[in-house]
Amino acid sequence: MTESLAPARSSQKLALNWLGLLPFFLFALAFIIFPSLTLFSGSLFDAQGNLTFTNFLQLNTPLIVDAYQNSIMLSLQTALGGAFFGFLLGYAVVYGNLPRWLRTAIMTFCGLAANFGGVPLAFSIIATVGRTGFLTAFLRDQLGFDIYALGFSIYNPTGLFMAYMYFQLPLMVLIIVPALESLRREWREAAESLGATNWQYWQYVALPILTPTLLGTTILLFGSAFGAYATAQALTGGTLPLITLVIGTQIRGDVLGNPGLGYAMVLGMVVIMAACIAAYSSLQRQAERWLR
Amino acid sequence: MSVTKQLFVRMVASLILAATILAACAPAATPAPTAAPVDWKTVKSAQEAGGLEALIAQAKVEGNLHVIALPRDWCNYGEMIDTFKAKYGINVVEINPEAGSADELEAIRANKESGGPQAPDVIDIGVAFGPTAKEEGLITPYKVKKFDTISGVKDAEGYYYADYGGVLVFQVNTDVVKEVPQDWSDLLGENYKGQIAIAGDPRASNQAAQTVFSAAIANGGSLDNVDPGLQFFKELAANGNLLPVIATSGTFAKGETPITFAWNYLALAAKESLAGNPNVEIVYPKSVNWGGWYLQAVSAYAPNPAAARLWQEFLYSDEGQKIWMKGFCVPARFGDMNAAGAVPADLLAKMPAKGVMENAIIPGVDQLAAAREKIKNEWDNVVGLDIQAAP
Amino acid sequence: MPKRINVFAWFIVILGALFFLLPIYGTLDFSLRARKGELSLLAYERVFSDPLFLQAFFFSVQKALLTIGFSLLLIVPTAYWVNWRLPRWRPVVELVTLMPFVIPAVVLVFGLIRTFSRPPFVMTRSTFTTDILLIAGYMVLTMPYVYRAVDTGLRALDVRTLTEAAQSLGANGPTILWRVIFPNLRGAILSGALITFATVIGELILASFLVRPAFGPYMESMGQNKAYEPAALGILSYALTWASLALIDVFARGNKQVASIR
Repeated sequence: MTESLAPARSSQKLALNWLGLLPFFLFALAFIIFPSLTLFSGSLFDAQGNLTFTNFLQLNTPLIVDAYQNSIMLSLQTALGGAFFGFLLGYAVVYGNLPRWLRTAIMTFCGLAANFGGVPLAFSIIATVGRTGFLTAFLRDQLGFDIYALGFSIYNPTGLFMAYMYFQLPLMVLIIVPALESLRREWREAAESLGATNWQYWQYVALPILTPTLLGTTILLFGSAFGAYATAQALTGGTLPLITLVIGTQIRGDVLGNPGLGYAMVLGMVVIMAACIAAYSSLQRQAERWLR
Repeated sequence: MSVTKQLFVRMVASLILAATILAACAPAATPAPTAAPVDWKTVKSAQEAGGLEALIAQAKVEGNLHVIALPRDWCNYGEMIDTFKAKYGINVVEINPEAGSADELEAIRANKESGGPQAPDVIDIGVAFGPTAKEEGLITPYKVKKFDTISGVKDAEGYYYADYGGVLVFQVNTDVVKEVPQDWSDLLGENYKGQIAIAGDPRASNQAAQTVFSAAIANGGSLDNVDPGLQFFKELAANGNLLPVIATSGTFAKGETPITFAWNYLALAAKESLAGNPNVEIVYPKSVNWGGWYLQAVSAYAPNPAAARLWQEFLYSDEGQKIWMKGFCVPARFGDMNAAGAVPADLLAKMPAKGVMENAIIPGVDQLAAAREKIKNEWDNVVGLDIQAAP
Repeated sequence: MPKRINVFAWFIVILGALFFLLPIYGTLDFSLRARKGELSLLAYERVFSDPLFLQAFFFSVQKALLTIGFSLLLIVPTAYWVNWRLPRWRPVVELVTLMPFVIPAVVLVFGLIRTFSRPPFVMTRSTFTTDILLIAGYMVLTMPYVYRAVDTGLRALDVRTLTEAAQSLGANGPTILWRVIFPNLRGAILSGALITFATVIGELILASFLVRPAFGPYMESMGQNKAYEPAALGILSYALTWASLALIDVFARGNKQVASIR
């Protein structure tokens, strides 16, 4: 709608508009971009300090390609899983007629759980469904149900998926609940007055409105899983090649590590995230057009 | 006034002004030393510093010592730090006790000019990192008074030298494991299914990588060939004996990873700390006696250079060495102290049996580097998992 | 009107509760076994006997509250501006806010330290400026979440109408933000605040390398050789953090001044 204003004022407006984002960009420049750049410039140097592009060429080795693939797959799976189950839980919280204290408890617990990870989370899961976990023991001794004999194990991608869900799901809940709460009752009443069923209301009114939020939060979940490191390392001992783990061994683990290669890998991750956001933005623009 | 006189007055005034400015800018006058002034940043020995007393005096003036990567229960460093504090009245700042050796070097690099509490004065690093640190100019040479009595790795110029070491052992939770494995070949047995785990990621952790290296020797490899070690763990994983998880104190005590590998001093300290809950047995594998040293060095950018050097002297004094012994670590001067009868019986009991450390197989820096490179590249093939399309 | 029991909702909640609470129980169970063969609070006693425990916790609480304040101060106006005036800039701003995710925390921390520990931007010499750097670091780490939460909340508002209505009543920028936008973002801001608080309490790397006595480094310092105390410490930190979050929630709901738009 702003585009309909007289173009003669647009250049002045542009300058002023730009100013509004200045504090943010200054902050980002100082504390995100500049520190990252000083390290990224390291990706142009090899372990001996010579200027080179080989770090980027080395990104094509099987190990690293494998690591990227695994990371993307895992992030995608846990983002979609977290989004789906988180949406269900968020729905239950907002529309479930739950008592007030339970709602507060769930929201605050999600705040807590969204930040779980690393060794404590891995240990919690091991202590529950590991080979000596209390739930494993309970199922085996009280119910005669030995999950490990049946082939279950937390020490494989399934276990890692479970662990990631532990912090992905709450993140989704925290963001989707305010969004669900913002769906105006009038819209629902209007839909119902036009004869729409609950399902139709969701299909034609609510979900389309929520689509940008859902997409945006899924991207957030993707990014969260993509950058996760400590949990995967604790639970798999590094046996699953993930890009964050590989970066870790290059930058921190070893005198032989090639930090330049590590930084090149991080740049690769940034590019992937940028691609995701580009895709999400275009999807979102399409959705908005459709909405109009 | 005539022109010349004006000029003259101006010249004198300028000279006076210049002199005043120069005087103001001159470095603050230090109390005239009785000997030549000491550049504490490059002092190479206590002698150069003007004697131990001078070193102690200057360290007290500095008032602070920044150490890094020293967990309090690793080799009894907690007591080492507290004793140093009490003895000299110097405040000790403990930077990031959980840092790895690479982090220590990064801390020096990142804080070269800051001089703040995040800049380490001294570092305690793995053997592989010594030469790199020296090449990069991150450390500076300082020979402690007892330098000549140090055994183990030693840089001739005194840039870095061994501080303490140990041998690799099996750490077994005997509440869970009834038949304790005595050697590497035992680990392949049926009864250890799902019970073995490494205490780190071999691609990143020094101790974990040396675990694999040690397994190589036990299976026909050599200090130049780590492949049998990789094969051994591949077999262990295929049998289902090896759990692809990092063993921690918690998982060990829980019984989830009842068999793991550690330096003997860490295993002994864990045994002491767990105090029977669970029962722990330490096994020195028969076929391979694998040893490793850590290195001590002074940062070239130390904000408190005298305190740093005093810390070194303290560590290598009989008192310091004994504190390490209390933590089950074999200190670098052990051979010398033992020969001189300076080790009390109770501390001797905490050391490994006679000859264990002396006869341990210890890889050279290059061999270790080559092995770690191999492990880093091939570990995934050995035990790698992959994300399938469906979990 | 008595509330209808929504069976589906309760079913989901119970399933969710099991999934989330059972692992916590696993840690709790282990933490109670410090004394062999019996359940005891020995591990907890040992944790409490350390005065540094509460000290570290309160240090982190203080930093967390400051981080929340400054984050909101920075992000709410920015998100508002993007939503109202510069929708084209949205992808750029979002990429920037997602970068802290993608760049491993270790890399960010090393970068921050390298940049700000040498002239001309030295921030690591004094405690005060180091704390500022710490808070800036925390703001960076939580930026993805807070921005997403606030942006979600703003999308639900008709920002343009609200702004123009307020302007027509004579309000200027800050007034609009403070008296119109902020109150309507209550839910979103609360979400952001909750996540930020929990993140700061548990944050480890930044505080360790900046050598500040935060709760994360304290928990790590429990030592690699102790098995039961870390579990006890974990449970205690969950409980304390959860209680703090509940306090924030109650406090945020306490001052209801704006009538709901519904």
